[in-house]
Amino acid sequence: MPLKKVIETRKLNRVFKNGDIEVHALTEIDLVIEEGEFVAIMGSSGSGKSTLLHILGCLDKPSSGEYYLDGVHVNKLNKNQLADIRNQKIGFIFQSYNLLSRTTALENVELPLVYDRTGRFTNSKELAKKALEQVGLEDRIYHKTNELSGGQQQRVAIARALINDPALILSDEATGNLDSRTSIDIADLFVRLNNEGKTILMITHEPEIAQFAKRMIYLRDGRVLTDELIKNRSTKESALKALELIT
Amino acid sequence: MKQFLKTFKVAFQAIYKNRTRSLLTALGIIIGVAAVIMTISAGQGATQEVQSQISGLGTNLLMISTKTEHRGGMDVRMGRPIDEKDLLMLQKNSVWMPKLSPLVANGVRAIGPQGNKSTTIYGVSSDYFDILNREIVSGDGFTEEDVKTARKVCVIGETIKKELFSSADPVGRQIRIDKVPFTIVGILKEEGKGTMGQDQDDMLIAPYTTIQNRLYGRRRGYNMIMASALSEDHIQDAEIEATELLRETHRILEGEEDDFEIMTQVELQEITGNVTGILTLILGAIASISLIVGGIGIMNIMLVSVTERTREIGTRLAIGARESDILTQFLIEAIVLSLAGGILGIMLGILGNQIIYKTTNFYIPTAMDSILIGFGFSVLVGIVFGYFPARKAARLNPIDALRYE
Repeated sequence: MPLKKVIETRKLNRVFKNGDIEVHALTEIDLVIEEGEFVAIMGSSGSGKSTLLHILGCLDKPSSGEYYLDGVHVNKLNKNQLADIRNQKIGFIFQSYNLLSRTTALENVELPLVYDRTGRFTNSKELAKKALEQVGLEDRIYHKTNELSGGQQQRVAIARALINDPALILSDEATGNLDSRTSIDIADLFVRLNNEGKTILMITHEPEIAQFAKRMIYLRDGRVLTDELIKNRSTKESALKALELIT
Repeated sequence: MKQFLKTFKVAFQAIYKNRTRSLLTALGIIIGVAAVIMTISAGQGATQEVQSQISGLGTNLLMISTKTEHRGGMDVRMGRPIDEKDLLMLQKNSVWMPKLSPLVANGVRAIGPQGNKSTTIYGVSSDYFDILNREIVSGDGFTEEDVKTARKVCVIGETIKKELFSSADPVGRQIRIDKVPFTIVGILKEEGKGTMGQDQDDMLIAPYTTIQNRLYGRRRGYNMIMASALSEDHIQDAEIEATELLRETHRILEGEEDDFEIMTQVELQEITGNVTGILTLILGAIASISLIVGGIGIMNIMLVSVTERTREIGTRLAIGARESDILTQFLIEAIVLSLAGGILGIMLGILGNQIIYKTTNFYIPTAMDSILIGFGFSVLVGIVFGYFPARKAARLNPIDALRYE
């Protein structure tokens, strides 16, 4: 049985117009990501990785080309439908966590369900607790955001991305604000979630974090430069060892 | 509906998390609503006070005076003065006005054993006391006979009694009015302050004949003739009758204007009602300005809040909030703030009225419509001034909002 395609893009282009100047942020991106994959997207700044993430995350629309997310033709959706599909199919993780301040971990994790219009979730509190357990924060459920460390805050954000059982988890530099050790913990968490069946796509510019993924796509000037499977995947142990060698 | 409730909860949490700021934001509305309630209540309280004093003035009162016109800053008499001829004619012919009294007023200096005092003497007939409902608490007052013979007797008010005679009952004693000695034949029942704050007990009342003949020589005309209609239902009849009789006596041809004026108690109430009503309206309008200022305060804070929470808005949009969810959230925040401000303002206004009552004894009944106006206004302010910031929040581009530092 062929695996389900979570992402499929055909000749995806994104052009920004700034007066008379046209900037081609993405050129002819053909990308297929199947269920259960763990993909790292790398590239220098200006390579188009953020633009790609925004389009894949249904926050932006391509200038041309087609995009199917979990079988849904995204190009045809209007603003409200895009909001709903973000709510149902995508879990976002941001570099600066983007949690609500002075709010408990539990309430933060529940947030996506506030905007759920399908009514498929009945007990948001239970689900939030379960998601927090998944990221190892079962003893921090009622802590407020400002009482948590950076790594813990990012775990809360990951739990928030898990709660709606999304088809795709999108991580935008999730480890960008964290120290090396905590970054490895977070990367390891991604590996575990991937092992549990989650499809994960993460943007990063740290090669040692990208090494945790199964597949790496390298972008340059809006085009896919390389797209290959990672042979020597990092594990928590190997990464920590490498870290000790340096310091 | 379910979505609305969820958004409502979100908005409420946002307000709760910023308690201090929320309170300060609502403060403008609190003060505005309290100001509206207190001014409207004070205005209506004053109106009621004036109205009740006018209706206490006398029973079915009519006042007939010479027509005056305001010219060059002075009131100029436009016709022949109302005089004894008119009075006798009315007494003889009137059906609807059983009681009639002329009124001749003069400023005088009264001298008693305790000192002297500037006051006003009113020359009237014995009907005056019935027409104006003024009771005599001590002594017998004066009679028609006293009026006919122009005897030097007078009735004095409580203030005169206190200042010129100390505590002893002055009935039967002498008082010198502009050097002419009068015998006191009665004390007026205390009335207290009048509509315009004047002392209604600072007066002397004597037969008009005495004043005209003994005090100032024969002066032509009265200040006015006061009359009371047979009953409340016949005030109109009395007015028509007086007009007809006077036009005849004054020989006014058909088509010509009256050279006299008749004011009834009803008209007096209407006029003062208009004046105090306009006053209330002006005060209320001034107070509403503070409400609008409060609304602008809410808009200001909401705009700051939208900017400050740009990233939060971006996050909400990214995880699936629709534009309408964001719009609703911020609109609810603004409305809840101004509504809560309105309710607190209503309570503050009622409390303010109570404090005024306790400290000055001026009773202000809190006007029900002022509560409704304050309430409605605060909701309106929330919607009007909350919409712009809410729309700004909803229209944020999620990508830019997420990047916002």
